[in-house]
Amino acid sequence: MRFDVVEIGPSANKVILLGRLDSGTVGSVETAFTAAVAASGRSAVLDLTGLEFLSSLGIRLLLSSARVVVRRGGVLVMFGAQPIVAEVLTAMALDELLPLVGSEAEALARLPA
Amino acid sequence: MLRLEVPVALPAIAAAQDRVEAWLAGQGVPPATAYRVRLVIEEVLANLCEHGRFAGPPPASRLELALAAGEVCLVIEDGAAPFDPILAPPPDAPTLADDRVGGLGLALVRKMAARIAYGRTANGWNRSEFGIAVAGRGDGAA
Repeated sequence: MRFDVVEIGPSANKVILLGRLDSGTVGSVETAFTAAVAASGRSAVLDLTGLEFLSSLGIRLLLSSARVVVRRGGVLVMFGAQPIVAEVLTAMALDELLPLVGSEAEALARLPA
Repeated sequence: MLRLEVPVALPAIAAAQDRVEAWLAGQGVPPATAYRVRLVIEEVLANLCEHGRFAGPPPASRLELALAAGEVCLVIEDGAAPFDPILAPPPDAPTLADDRVGGLGLALVRKMAARIAYGRTANGWNRSEFGIAVAGRGDGAA
């Protein structure tokens, strides 16, 4: 698992997730990931296109990061999940909490103007 | 049939999953099904690492996989205190206000497995059996 951070505007970052987010990887990325996603006062767009596997430990990390973003007044939107990853997110009702859309353009449209 | 012994430790899970995935691929099991099997193994073993109660040092858990009619049959045996995954309470819906997020893993297992059976082995271990339906062509992930 690795992630890349791209600044996409004055108040938002895109975080690109690659590989597996699970028991084998969450422990080694959680501190850096939360810091990247929850950068002060910024919204975050999570690019899930390259996320190959997501388990409940990964979902917990997404939730805890989102909590910090929202608490600081930002918005978190996810996009591009592969069908099986989308199924996991939907099964856990995470998509009701954090918007999951198909494309990056749709995700950017959800950010505050 | 594939049999594995997996130490009760988070870092041991990925290696077991990789071996299972390779075996399933060799059996012609579609990736979408292999993903579900990987997820069930992940959630059950991670739950065991985090919450399993053992009298002493935990003995390695045992995994067994077989292909049956239309399903992958996964059996996991462990030496922790009795725990029936079927009876685990459903989690509360996750919220952004609550830091306590628990129970998601077993809820996922119940979504991914079409069939779950629980019992005890002759030597008093937990024995959980999961039937994961083999996806038809075009189902789920590529």
